[in-house]
Amino acid sequence: MAKKTTRVPEAGGWPDAVAVPALIAGAVLTTVGFLMAFLWAAPVNGAALSAPELVGDVMVTHQQLISQKIFYFHMPVAIVSFVALAFGAYYGIRFLMTREQRFDTCSRVAMEIALLFVVLTMITGDLWTRFEWGVWWTWEPRLTTYLILMLIAIAYFVLRNAVDDPERRATYAGVVSVIALVDVPVCFMITRLIPSSIHPVVAREGGMSPDMAATVFVVLAGMMLVGYGLYRLRFREARLGERLQALKDMLE
Amino acid sequence: MNAVETLHLTKAFGTRRAVDDVTFSLPEGSFLSIFGPNGAGKTTLLRVLSTLARPTGGEARLCGVDLKENPDEARGLIGMISHQSMLYPDLTAEENLMLYAKLYGVANPAARVSELLDAVGLSHRRLDAVRTFSRGMTQRVSIARALVHDPRIVFLDEPYSGLDPHAVEIFDELIGAVRGDRTFVMVSHDLAKGFSMCTHALVLARGRIVTFAPKDEIAFGDFSELYRQTVGMGVA
Amino acid sequence: MPRVAPSTFSQYRTLLAKDLRQEFRTREMLTSMGIYALLVIIVYGAALALTAHGVDIVHMGGGLLWVLIVFTSLLGLARSFAREKEQGCMEGVLLVPLDRSVVFLAKATSNILFMLAVEVIAVPLFYFFFMTSEPAAPTLPFIVAPLLVGTVGMAGIGTMLSTITSNTRSADVMLAVLFIPLIYPLLYACVTATTAAIAGTEFWTDFFVMPLVLACGYDVVMLLVCWVLYDFVVSA
Repeated sequence: MAKKTTRVPEAGGWPDAVAVPALIAGAVLTTVGFLMAFLWAAPVNGAALSAPELVGDVMVTHQQLISQKIFYFHMPVAIVSFVALAFGAYYGIRFLMTREQRFDTCSRVAMEIALLFVVLTMITGDLWTRFEWGVWWTWEPRLTTYLILMLIAIAYFVLRNAVDDPERRATYAGVVSVIALVDVPVCFMITRLIPSSIHPVVAREGGMSPDMAATVFVVLAGMMLVGYGLYRLRFREARLGERLQALKDMLE
Repeated sequence: MNAVETLHLTKAFGTRRAVDDVTFSLPEGSFLSIFGPNGAGKTTLLRVLSTLARPTGGEARLCGVDLKENPDEARGLIGMISHQSMLYPDLTAEENLMLYAKLYGVANPAARVSELLDAVGLSHRRLDAVRTFSRGMTQRVSIARALVHDPRIVFLDEPYSGLDPHAVEIFDELIGAVRGDRTFVMVSHDLAKGFSMCTHALVLARGRIVTFAPKDEIAFGDFSELYRQTVGMGVA
Repeated sequence: MPRVAPSTFSQYRTLLAKDLRQEFRTREMLTSMGIYALLVIIVYGAALALTAHGVDIVHMGGGLLWVLIVFTSLLGLARSFAREKEQGCMEGVLLVPLDRSVVFLAKATSNILFMLAVEVIAVPLFYFFFMTSEPAAPTLPFIVAPLLVGTVGMAGIGTMLSTITSNTRSADVMLAVLFIPLIYPLLYACVTATTAAIAGTEFWTDFFVMPLVLACGYDVVMLLVCWVLYDFVVSA
């Protein structure tokens, strides 16, 4: 039988060396994007309601407030959170195939990042909802999907805490991360495709103008770098903890 | 042929090795007792050998069947008697045995089940729910359950826990009666008992083999002295 | 001992028959789920006491009905592996040479049957207590379709999650924490379809067919994922 050697992620290599610069670069890019959003980019067009709607106490067709700048942050954050979730599930599968503890560590750290960004998405999204649509919460497909995603991510960590045996914990976590990755798009599709008589359909007409796309891209790149940097730093911390534990075990 | 054969068998998670580089072969028809302090990896070793846990390295063969490549064939060769009965309390003794006989695909399940119930002396209680049985009786049904498909190898995982002396006596008698040419592998805390029953002894500490030898090569006095040292080593 | 490898289907039938026989004997799950369903209905009675006449029960009925079903199912699912764990029976079954997905399918089927049995009682009761004030729409019988599709999906993913949570601390809460977010899409689709069938307005098929198809899609995707992953869960 041919032996395949699996490359296992390890802390301390070049990825960690670039983690801090990536974090700083990400922060800089995000700041640049922030400035671009307010000083340069045109307001988001579209984001209009399909019909005039009584929101709060006023009849609105669409509002073009300063609040729409949130969009430039909301979308990148949402994308990063989903990417992190995908990585979590990817490493979850790798763990289930190899039973190598380090993949579980990777999966867990990726899920932590996913949870962080999902919470950020919820906050930015909720601000958007409040100012753009005039309500704090509406069961709109994207909002719902992200609420569900947040709950699943929280459940993932609650589950981890509830299992004592480390190998069992890793296995269950891997399985749940895969189910979560499958469930989230399904959730989005279902909430999106089912016609709802209660809520206005939010149509996003037209594409983004180049200046908007550029802004979104800059922020997205920044957020990705921040996500990556955080992931590496957290992973290194977790790995060092594991190695310390291993040393302690050896001394016993 | 060897009943159990392992080669550098390892079960690790991260850097923690519950079973570490275990190599031994056990001839068919022997009775192996596995000793070791708590956390030495005895139960894990038994779980790996009984296909309930996957090894992370090395090889293991039962009667020549590779556990990794042919787990289902290996499963057909083994029976397990544990401290848990693995019987459904709300089903009767007969129903429990029939369930397992059918799952294993025993040719004439009804005949086999009544034969086994006779053998463990519980024919008169065959229509009673297992919930109503005493611990000792439950363990006797458990013996019948483990033997329903006539396994070549029987694993015993702390089978005496919770049995009173009389039940232990009956249990030993039964094991002796059903022994035949089967191979037994037992994990036990009871040094004297495990040693008196075995033909081979294996001492584990921290997942590694400390001693593996046929009983006729060691005297019990030396053995218990060695074991005491090992346990000391494991705890320190 | 002659053994014929039993077909996967006969093993499935054996395992399913075991669950049904146990339930038939103790009626533990059906009674607790049935009583719980009745209690939820009583709570509804109190909750809607002041609004009962003005409330738009035609549009709320579907949702309330599904709340009832979700929580009742949760209770049954949490119990479904308790018996397997009690005496280590799950391990006994896993020691048998059988495909792990058979264990999943058999358990999922028995859960579907128990949930359907409770729905057969609970849904007419719900109708009797809350819906008789309005004339029934001719499309009302169509609620059977979303009920069926929803039950299959919930039992499938619920069986998977229950296997996981039966090995955790505070298993019942853990099951709810995982189960409800994961079935949200299915729940949403089923509530929409059920409400459409109850209301039976002019364009009711618009709100019925599409959600039902999506719910079926969810069932297929999730059951496949669970089926594939089940082996990992039980051999942890």
